[in-house]
Amino acid sequence: MSPALRIGLPLGALVVILIAWETAVRATGTAGLVPSPVNVARAGVALIADGTATRALAGSLQRVLIGFCVAAVIGVPIGLAIGTAPTLDRIFRPVLDAMRSVAPIAWIPMAILWLGVRGDAALFVVAYAAVFPFILNASDAARRVDGSLLAAARSLGAGRALTFGAVITPSALPFLFTGARIAMGFAWGSIIAAELAIGIKVTGQSRAVAGLGQLMVETLYVRRDVDALVFYMLMIGAVSFLIDFGMRRAQIRLMPWTLR
Amino acid sequence: MTVAVLRLAGVTKTFRAPRGGGDVVALSGVDLDVREGEFLTVVGPSGCGKSTMLSLVAGFAQPTAGEVLFQGQPVLEPGPERGVMFQDYALFPWRTVMGNIEFGPYALGVGKAERRGRARELIQLVGLEGFEDRYPHELSGGMRQRCALARMLANNPTMWLMDEPLAAVDLQTRIILQDELLRLWGDGGSAKRSTVLFVTHGIDEAVLLADRVVVMARRPGRIKAIVDVNLPRPRAAQRSSPALAELVGRVWDLIRDEAVRAIAEETN
Amino acid sequence: MSSALRRVATAAQPMIGIAALIAAWQAASVIAANPTLAPPLGAIARQIAAMASTDLLNDVVASLVHLLLGYGCGAILGLVLALLAARSEWFAAILDPYVEFLRPISAIAWIPIAILLFGVGRGVPVFLIFYASLFPILVSTLDGVRSVDRGLINAGRALGASRRLVVTNIILPAALPSILSGARLSLGVAWVAMVAGELVGADAGLGWRIMWYQEFFSMDGVMATIVVIGAVGWLLDALLRALQRRLLAWSPTTGARG
Repeated sequence: MSPALRIGLPLGALVVILIAWETAVRATGTAGLVPSPVNVARAGVALIADGTATRALAGSLQRVLIGFCVAAVIGVPIGLAIGTAPTLDRIFRPVLDAMRSVAPIAWIPMAILWLGVRGDAALFVVAYAAVFPFILNASDAARRVDGSLLAAARSLGAGRALTFGAVITPSALPFLFTGARIAMGFAWGSIIAAELAIGIKVTGQSRAVAGLGQLMVETLYVRRDVDALVFYMLMIGAVSFLIDFGMRRAQIRLMPWTLR
Repeated sequence: MTVAVLRLAGVTKTFRAPRGGGDVVALSGVDLDVREGEFLTVVGPSGCGKSTMLSLVAGFAQPTAGEVLFQGQPVLEPGPERGVMFQDYALFPWRTVMGNIEFGPYALGVGKAERRGRARELIQLVGLEGFEDRYPHELSGGMRQRCALARMLANNPTMWLMDEPLAAVDLQTRIILQDELLRLWGDGGSAKRSTVLFVTHGIDEAVLLADRVVVMARRPGRIKAIVDVNLPRPRAAQRSSPALAELVGRVWDLIRDEAVRAIAEETN
Repeated sequence: MSSALRRVATAAQPMIGIAALIAAWQAASVIAANPTLAPPLGAIARQIAAMASTDLLNDVVASLVHLLLGYGCGAILGLVLALLAARSEWFAAILDPYVEFLRPISAIAWIPIAILLFGVGRGVPVFLIFYASLFPILVSTLDGVRSVDRGLINAGRALGASRRLVVTNIILPAALPSILSGARLSLGVAWVAMVAGELVGADAGLGWRIMWYQEFFSMDGVMATIVVIGAVGWLLDALLRALQRRLLAWSPTTGARG
């Protein structure tokens, strides 16, 4: 299939869907009750222009980054330790499995209690969601270092430090990076969830510092602006996509030997 | 004995190169008649199109020009009368030894009792008794090969197409399997034999097994010479005969230059 | 150490971890000395027992109904879309960019839209579960079907297999490991989406029960529900793991024998 067709086909499908959608909303006279493409675009321009959307986005992203870093600092050492010591693995694997089976968002009430509604509770949920991909991939990384590469390094006279730097690190990095990519996706997904849940808890009480999630709750329950809501959705989607795409690109750039 | 069961007439096959750069001519103007009951081996340096030729005969691909005729009919698709044994065996990993061997009859709609019986016979014939319920990953290389051979035979093909079937095992196993292959084919016997097209890169093996050895050249892939092997059968007794060694030398002379050039290109 | 003793020690290791976790929680609750901030083990255990004799079964069943509806639809649609995309290049070209855009969006982000569309009730968790489970199974099925070894298909055709037989007896079994690992991945994210959906947009289920307890400021209840969520989630995953082992006995990586 030609590249033009590869781009043209889905684009054509999109245009058809949008036109049909807009026509349907206009024909039924339900604009304002039901989102329509033109109104969504209009709402988006307005929300970006007055800074509402961008400020909320910055708040959410900031918490994602902090939670992500906390998860990395906790998760990578635990994962490496588990991956190198089978005894530790047998001891802690069930604990991890049990904790992983609890949906991070279920901790919201406890987290609010422990850390308050002003954003730290959301941070806890983010870190909780992101820590498991780090642990699992780091332990995989440690386990999968090729034994014959280690033997080769040793027979060539490499000491402990050189082996770690020249063999273990480069062969473990791709797994760590994969873990980071998944963790980032989880972190972004759960920040929205956490903010939504907290937002629903506190709407109308105080203007707790907002991320996108709180803003969406307010938009849904207080302002009842369906077009803005769809715009936020698209924004979340675009950020998700950019994070994933950016981290894949970075991996190819930084670790070309991980290419299949 | 003079009927051509398989005829290749002016067969050319080109592939589109994966990253632009024009077409690759894998085979160019190949003419070949294979007689009924004949054991034909094909040797040549890597890239001479010998595997391509086999897949055209099997019906996995169509020639770009020319014709492949089996029993007078053009080959358009694979068929159970042409059994194939693959270089990497291509055993179905989710089927046991028994399941793999009875797949052919199953595909052709043979009833359960009958195909079980036939598979049992073949398992005995290739010496895999006791391993019927093993999965391929639980078998040694030699056992996988026997299983692949039995699977090919299960449809009673009149033509055997074998693509380097013994390439992946150690030397001792290969010698044993060569003898077994000859025995199964009916070497030295008087019964009606299947026609074999056997691709290999082992010159000793090619000469030992064959009635005729097709020597191929590369760039483009074509037939360089056909060497008759008029050694008495059964061949298992001929392994150390001077006549065999002499023929091996002749075939080697035919492909040495090509092989050296191929290696030089690969290392550049 | 004698070998028998060592074997006992090895078998006990998984228990050590869980015991450590429980002990750590108890220690925290003693130090905090505040039954709201960190409910002690006894209170949580009593709460679980109390739930077991009242609403627990209802909550679990409500959650499982959500899961079954959403996961069932998501898995089936994912499989069908993947098989269609594997068959038709055109369909794949249209589908691909949408999947690439929608897939990274967490199902949870759809909560406001889902509430808008369905109102608070069964619709929200079912939709979220559906959305969450769709993509992992779609992507891994497509991956599996596309990477089927060409040689195996040729082998089947040479043995006389019809087109249909090639699909049912070669392509599907060859793709089964990918399909099943996609199904497991799907179940994991679906479970999280379910809890989230019930937490904010439903009127039944385990997630909803958490919020219910929080309304009464019963942290014992919240913790007890969390424990139940973890246990049921773990059980479901164990179930799929067993299925995987069962169906993939032939595979060198998951096979029990060999």
